Amino acid sequence: MRVLLVEDEAPLRETLAARLQREGFAVDTAVDGAEGLYMAREVPFDVAIVDLGLPKLSGIDLVRGLREAGRRYPVLILTARGSWQDKVEGLKSGADDYLVKPFHIEELLARMNALVRRSAGWSKPVLECGPLKLDTTAQQVLVNDDVVELTSYEYKVLEYLVLHAGELVSKTDLTEHIYEQDFDRDSNVIEVFVGRLRKKLDPNGDLKPIETVRGRGYRFALPRTV
Amino acid sequence: MSAAQRPLSVAARATAAASIVLAGFLGLTGFVLNQAFEQSATTALRERLQGYAYTFLAGTDIGVAGRMILPEIMPDPRLDRPGSGLYARLRGGEFNWNSPSGLDRQLPFDEQLAPGEFSFRGPVRSSEGDLYVLGMGIAFLLPGGSEAVFTLHLAEHEAALKAQTRAFRDTLLLLLGTLGVLLLGVLWLSLRWTLQPLRGVAKDLAEVQAGRAPELAGIYPRELAGLTESLNRFIQTERKSLQRYRNTLGDLAHSLKTPLAVLRGLVESEPDDDKLREGTAQQLARMDDIVAYQLARAAKSGHHTFVAPIRIGPIAEEVASGLEKVYASKGALCEFEVDEQAKFRGERGDLLEILGNLLDNAFKWSRGRVLLRVAYLAATERTPRRLQIVVEDDGPGVPNHQLDAVLQRGIRADERVQGHGIGLSIVQDIVQSYQGELAVGRSEELGGARFEITLP
Repeated sequence: MRVLLVEDEAPLRETLAARLQREGFAVDTAVDGAEGLYMAREVPFDVAIVDLGLPKLSGIDLVRGLREAGRRYPVLILTARGSWQDKVEGLKSGADDYLVKPFHIEELLARMNALVRRSAGWSKPVLECGPLKLDTTAQQVLVNDDVVELTSYEYKVLEYLVLHAGELVSKTDLTEHIYEQDFDRDSNVIEVFVGRLRKKLDPNGDLKPIETVRGRGYRFALPRTV
Repeated sequence: MSAAQRPLSVAARATAAASIVLAGFLGLTGFVLNQAFEQSATTALRERLQGYAYTFLAGTDIGVAGRMILPEIMPDPRLDRPGSGLYARLRGGEFNWNSPSGLDRQLPFDEQLAPGEFSFRGPVRSSEGDLYVLGMGIAFLLPGGSEAVFTLHLAEHEAALKAQTRAFRDTLLLLLGTLGVLLLGVLWLSLRWTLQPLRGVAKDLAEVQAGRAPELAGIYPRELAGLTESLNRFIQTERKSLQRYRNTLGDLAHSLKTPLAVLRGLVESEPDDDKLREGTAQQLARMDDIVAYQLARAAKSGHHTFVAPIRIGPIAEEVASGLEKVYASKGALCEFEVDEQAKFRGERGDLLEILGNLLDNAFKWSRGRVLLRVAYLAATERTPRRLQIVVEDDGPGVPNHQLDAVLQRGIRADERVQGHGIGLSIVQDIVQSYQGELAVGRSEELGGARFEITLP
């Protein structure tokens, strides 16, 4: 999952970014509203976290701007002043949820996960596709109730594929949503991850969870169990 | 404002304006009076001369011998005194008589008048000075039955008239001048008296500023009462909000002291790291709650004297659609039964706090349905029309024995149970500041909690 974090206060931005990276997010940060809006328009994020009080361009204007540019991914706003005037204003501008500072990082993570899931059409934190269960909270994958051990990048790739189960996902999509902006992208790595995932999820070869659509990308083939 | 820019004082303006009007008025009065007096003095002079003429003629006749008989005693002794300033001449044909006062003097008595004719001229310049001259044509019946025509001239020097008018003018000037000065003095005094209350207000205000008086305590004239009452209201509001700031600051500081003390205790004496971490986290959460509560309290205004009423419908719509987004994973929806005309007489921010906190609470507990009802309660004999805002949900509701605890009636801000909805206590604070009521109960329709606010 790739996340945009726009926060002008350096200590908070850095702690949050570090924690989000530890949780497996690809994090891009911006220090003011103008930079934030530029990145929000240019990069296909999965979710954005936007502080309301930003220099150069307010958080509200940023959210309004990215919605006007047609970006549909969920936005969570952070506000220091817990007044309803701010919250309602933020939600009206196009944000999907808010958190009042100070907050617990766990709360933020839970809200972000819920937003991402919701925007991909899932309602529960455990994504189920046939025998496969992906627990987004515990970052755990089970096949027929057996735990499958995955590396952090393997998990990221699988999570993205399962979130968009049934949809075609290109290699570019995958790299863009898994790596941060300045990462040296090599699409072969994705192929390696997918290959390993197939082996780990389907050692006997009778499940065939990930289809390769030649020259276009991948599709997670197991049907969603809602 | 510097002295150079300060506009003229009210008293100075009034005095200047009055001086101009007064000067104009008194000047004109003086002029008119003087004219009238001069005219009447001239008329009096003419009548006097006429009187002399008749008296003179009464003693004059033509004798049987055809000789002119003149009066033995002149109508005025000045006619006998040479150069006295009063002169007479009777002339007709060969006859020419001059009063002793006018002997050998060049007098402007040349005119010939027909019998019955009068003339009055003056001042006429002559070698004897400026004179007022009366001429009169007379006919005497001669013994033969024929008539002899004469002209009688009388002249008086203008000096007497001049002296008279000068004396009058001097008196007039003195009187009018004194009157003017007196009037200005009275005006100035009355202005001082009129402006006295204003000076009183300024003085009282200075007392308030210096902290020696709580408010403008004097009794002021009706015209100033509006101003002083507004000032007093302003002073009171200022003082109240100052008091509120002090209280808030005091509350904040006091309520932070307890967790700080606990933290210090933990740091100084807790040997177990995990317990220290857990204890610290607890106290941090508590401090967080305290700060959040005080911040939210600062957001509410409590001022609602001069704001325009705002329609509730659109604002409720904004809050509800925002919350539907936030609680989208629940699929919760808010049903509206809102009177389109319903208006909130207060700050928009306060209304947002009330609706936001109540609806957020309802969404949080609901299983999918939230109901917002806004309507007016009809006036009864005892109470006027009141506004009612009801929020219901289909959640578990509030157990009966906890109804009071939820609102934490009579419990001070820093003593409230932690984590138990700062939102509700804020709503309660706001509703109280609008002299309204907040009640909690069970929803008959949805089965969950029911929060009801009635506002006057």
